[in-house]
Amino acid sequence: MIDEAIVSPGHDGQAVLVVRLRYANGATDTVTLAAEQARKLMDDCAAESVAELRGQPWQRLLHVLEP
Amino acid sequence: MLDILVKNGRIVDGSGLPAFSGDVAIAGGRLVQVGGQLSAEARTEIDAAGRVVAPGFIDPHTHFDAQLLWDGQARPALEHGVTTVVHGNCSLSLAPLKVEHRARLVKMFQQIEEMPDAAFQGAFEWTWESFGDYVAALRGRVALNVAPLAGHTPIRMWVMGADAQKRAAKPDEIRDMQDLLRECLEAGAVGLSTSYVDMDENFAPVPSRHAHYDELDALSAVLGEYGRMLQVVPEFYNTDVTVARVDQLAELSLAHGIPTTFSPLFDSSVVPDNVPRVLERVAEQFARGARVWPQVQTRPIDISFSLDMASLYFIQLPMWYMLLRMPRAQKLALLGNEGTRKGLIDAAEPGGDTQRFAGLRVRDSQDASLIGRTLGEIAKERGTTPAGALLDLSLAEDLGVHFLAARMGHEDPRRIGPILANDLVHVGASDGGAHIQSFATYGDTGYLFSEFVRKGRHLSLEHAVRKITGDTAQIWGIGDRGLLRPGLAADVVIFDPDTIGRADELPARDMPEGGMRYVRGARGVGAVIVNGEVTWTAEGGYTDARPGVVAHA
Repeated sequence: MIDEAIVSPGHDGQAVLVVRLRYANGATDTVTLAAEQARKLMDDCAAESVAELRGQPWQRLLHVLEP
Repeated sequence: MLDILVKNGRIVDGSGLPAFSGDVAIAGGRLVQVGGQLSAEARTEIDAAGRVVAPGFIDPHTHFDAQLLWDGQARPALEHGVTTVVHGNCSLSLAPLKVEHRARLVKMFQQIEEMPDAAFQGAFEWTWESFGDYVAALRGRVALNVAPLAGHTPIRMWVMGADAQKRAAKPDEIRDMQDLLRECLEAGAVGLSTSYVDMDENFAPVPSRHAHYDELDALSAVLGEYGRMLQVVPEFYNTDVTVARVDQLAELSLAHGIPTTFSPLFDSSVVPDNVPRVLERVAEQFARGARVWPQVQTRPIDISFSLDMASLYFIQLPMWYMLLRMPRAQKLALLGNEGTRKGLIDAAEPGGDTQRFAGLRVRDSQDASLIGRTLGEIAKERGTTPAGALLDLSLAEDLGVHFLAARMGHEDPRRIGPILANDLVHVGASDGGAHIQSFATYGDTGYLFSEFVRKGRHLSLEHAVRKITGDTAQIWGIGDRGLLRPGLAADVVIFDPDTIGRADELPARDMPEGGMRYVRGARGVGAVIVNGEVTWTAEGGYTDARPGVVAHA
């Protein structure tokens, strides 16, 4: 599930969203989303703020990461 | 008679050895003597008392491919002491390139490196298809040396046409790519660049991303025939995948005896274990004998935005973010509404806490007096709050004002200093000439000295000079540069070690057709000599000399 989402600067000077994931087995990972991907994730999760992403299933990311 | 005699300097020769006092003599484009006191006659004498005399700086990651054709001085890189640039990074080069592929490739350049139309159209004449003819177009035009990479993307386009962006290559196509790369290397390419990340203007993966491992392996075999570099953009936004790419590059390096380098690699408080984990794997691979050089930039990363776009900078302020995502007309109407304005300000400055936006700076505005000032200062002057100033300034210029949130990443010198000092870290990744309408990609060398030598003392003067001269030349196999040694090319920079640095970032309208870009001038650099000719001085500015050469041609 999504543990946290934090705004961070990207290589090109644009803000990116770093999403921290925690899997059922305890493993953790981070995925970095560009602006459009972050918007898609917010929409898919019907989230109005990044705080509302917390607890969402990690599978939400599969959709937004599709090319 | 000598051409140039630099007297009484503090010589830092690029090897990392301690500085020593003496003169530097130059004749016929070469260093004749380094050290000692000379009394020979010279056409030009430069008094370097109190200043450092060092090899010219080498910038290994730039995108000056097009700019060099209409600005052979790569301004303002040269005035920072940069005397050699590697361009053609990230799978993108302007050669080899068939006429029918020009428009496609230019679109990719514009999308990935954020370069405007005018940089490619009308500013120069396209006279080449082959790499050799591109190199010929640069000759006599450049004031600094160039070490162009051949881009994997145009190589694929040349051989595969439109299929380059659709599928893996067949064996005969891979053989054709090998032959084409061999031609490029014969003509002076310093290596091959590829990317696992970049997207074109339609958000489709660029051609290099369709290559399977066997294709990169075959191309690396050709690089091995010449001992040239493979440059890669890995999936830098994911540590695990970057580590896997380090392993892959190590296999190619060991199999073909080639150096490899990847960029960018940068630090962030949000993913603090990224750089340590990647460097740990790099060290393991170097211990096996592989050469996998991570490039790390010196400058911090800023976030820039205007209210015209929905930057993620506002994602923690739901009301702002939702409003900024609206269609432009609706957005403008709401921003002009008094109730909405009050709501936005209350959300950004709860309980009157104005800290959130107070430190933001105006990057670009039609009102030049605002540029560089903080919203806190402007708000105080205008009797409003920083959030109010942000809204007022934006509305006054139809959302055209750009703002800067400075030092948002790669910003902690206590973390960055030791990274830059690491012997396995290649100081680079400036991206010179790219992203020009977002931030200035010049002055990273000055920042190395001001922040990490003088202020943080993470590197000695000699170490810092070595990092951007002798080390860079050795990593890239540019054999006759990077050191001050008799017989080597006379690329020299003279600077004041107490003041060298980068000036403030400013918008400039000096692109072809008056286009805007961000630039930074140099501080503390006195003179820049390329192949024995003075190309820039602090007193006189740029000269007419065009002594640059193609490093491997």
